[in-house]
Amino acid sequence: MELKEIKCGSCGHVNPPGTQLCQSCGKMINSDYDKKKIKDLMRYDGSAVRSKVRSKSIFDKIWIFFTSIKVGVSIILAIAVAAAIGTIFPQEYFIPIGVDPADYYQENYGTLGYLYYTLGFHNLYSSWWFVLLNGMLALSIIAASIDRGIPLFKSLKNQRVKKHESFFRRQRLFKHDENTENAEKIIGQLKKKRYKVRQDGNNYLLEKGRLSRWGPYINHVGLIILLTGSMLRFFPGMYVDEIVYLNEGETKDLPTTNGQYYVKNDGFTLDTYDEKSKEVFDQALNQGNNIVSNFQTDITVYENESSEVVGAKPDLTEIDNYSIRVNHPYRFDSYELYQSSYDDSQMKAMTFRLEDAEGNTVGENFTVNLDDPEQSYQINENTEIKMRAYAPDFLEIADNGTLVSETPVPRNPAFVFEVNNDGESELSLLQIMNSTDITSGNDYSIRFVEAEQHMASVLTLKKDLTVPLVAGGFVIFLLGVFIGAYINHRRIWISLEDGFTLAGHTNKNYFGMKKELDQILEANSLTPVSDKFEIEDKAKDKE
Amino acid sequence: MKRGTRNILRVSIIVTVAVLIGITLWFNLTSDNKTVAVGDEAVDFQLTTMEGEQIRLSELTDEGKGVILNFWGTWCKPCREEMPDMNDIYTADDNDEYEIVAVNVAENEQQIKQFISGLESDLEFPIALDKTRDVTEAYSIGPLPTTIAVNQEGTVVKKQEYQLTHEDILAFIENATE
Repeated sequence: MELKEIKCGSCGHVNPPGTQLCQSCGKMINSDYDKKKIKDLMRYDGSAVRSKVRSKSIFDKIWIFFTSIKVGVSIILAIAVAAAIGTIFPQEYFIPIGVDPADYYQENYGTLGYLYYTLGFHNLYSSWWFVLLNGMLALSIIAASIDRGIPLFKSLKNQRVKKHESFFRRQRLFKHDENTENAEKIIGQLKKKRYKVRQDGNNYLLEKGRLSRWGPYINHVGLIILLTGSMLRFFPGMYVDEIVYLNEGETKDLPTTNGQYYVKNDGFTLDTYDEKSKEVFDQALNQGNNIVSNFQTDITVYENESSEVVGAKPDLTEIDNYSIRVNHPYRFDSYELYQSSYDDSQMKAMTFRLEDAEGNTVGENFTVNLDDPEQSYQINENTEIKMRAYAPDFLEIADNGTLVSETPVPRNPAFVFEVNNDGESELSLLQIMNSTDITSGNDYSIRFVEAEQHMASVLTLKKDLTVPLVAGGFVIFLLGVFIGAYINHRRIWISLEDGFTLAGHTNKNYFGMKKELDQILEANSLTPVSDKFEIEDKAKDKE
Repeated sequence: MKRGTRNILRVSIIVTVAVLIGITLWFNLTSDNKTVAVGDEAVDFQLTTMEGEQIRLSELTDEGKGVILNFWGTWCKPCREEMPDMNDIYTADDNDEYEIVAVNVAENEQQIKQFISGLESDLEFPIALDKTRDVTEAYSIGPLPTTIAVNQEGTVVKKQEYQLTHEDILAFIENATE
């Protein structure tokens, strides 16, 4: 295709290559232009769509690729399909904590699960290809907006009031009358309908709602802001979502604060509704027992004054106290600490008693702290129990006689106790399930009394500095949708050069515009405008 | 718009978007696995030993010593098996040029004492207690045992995530003191 600037045969305006309708007077340059379609023939008012003009460097090629509506829609479709697939199996943050995701998906969902994991669907929003798709969407939006927005802006800015006679005839709404005496009145009445009027001799251009044309572009700006927000989530320090597991009484540093903040769990409370008190939720309460009315963690917050060296004992200063409840997070800096769940499955301590051969309890019960056990327990004046060995998760007895633990977690504690009574001593191995005498002919046996569990509160530490961007992006997006959908860009051209000639164009809602026009025409005893569409429809019906 | 302006606009937009995608992916991929690798600067730390003394990595390297960090637990079989070997090698020479620090991961002293008492000879090198796992996390330690050699410049020069043989231990010492 030869690309040349085109001089309009009617008014002499020089138009850029590819122009269909003269930018100045609106006369058709490409006579085939509106043969194919009537609808939307004014979309760019005949200006060349920029990207369709030249193609040269690699950047131009990339640019043109992304300005294509087809490409844009394909990207959106790909994102939508991926997001849909991402809901088939749970995302990684919903699978149990501490489980290897590679095994989890394979075991629970078979080959499909394996594929799901391998392709990154288990962590959809941060899989590299999803990030890439979003980036491509952003480029597509920007390129398409610039490519279409700039010609649109120019054509709307450079509108000439005077249009060629053939332009009038091509518009969907058209009206011609020999009588021009009511023209002033009609224009005056249209002005009251908030049309802006421009005049050039005997030619008038009335326009309102031009903002409507910018709706899609405002919408796109919102989307770009939104995508920027979601991108910033990946930047360090912008987004934090961490689990903080705190046993009662435990003090821990908060992740991602570089050891600046420490939190102590002063106590975890779990309240349930009282079934007997007739409360509002009676019916619900009858269906299940123990409905929780409150989860609460009382915390003390500390700031570390000397936090340079990892592992060194922190120098803590108390800065705050708070009771975290569901929906009442503790807020500090830009962080929020939420009550997430609790865990009472970890064993904390075990209590035993000593029994003599007759089955009588000797001395007081003694409690072994499983996290940090004592070496000996004095249960009465002349009886001492020494803990000779302890395995938190008993596996076997080693060759050298020590107890071997499988893990450091107290799941299956086993002990070797030595009972010392008046200079005599005897040994026994004790597991939760059974106990074995090590020395023969033991007089005493140690009995398990009770176990105490740790009450751990699980908190979630959150921080999201991208919220204003994401929310702002959404608001602008919706504003754009609203502007594009509810405002109509209406233009009316009136020429009094050869009788009264009127043409109307709107980007949507021709029905409304016709009504508006016909009312005014009728008030000035003129017949309604003719609608090309209706005429064609009728013609079609006849065929 | 002139062609020059248009080209600048196109190129700058494409480059900006591409760079931002690149940065995002880079942050994304590096955030998951911050594991310590050979060539990284070793994170300085300070821990209390079984003897109740403070041990600090930078102090050891400042003395011109290479440091071998051995992350271990009493419940881990390969850890238990490599300990006597390390101790033999450590006690056999005068170890002026290096130090072995056995960092115990979050166990109580009873467990460690119980383990040592079951050994034929006492462990001569310091056992540092990482009760809060701060150091273990700072080094992103996965499986136990993990052994890391740090040279006197404070750079990680060798890393192994399984049991050390006698030769491995010698190789670690050599790497740390080079």
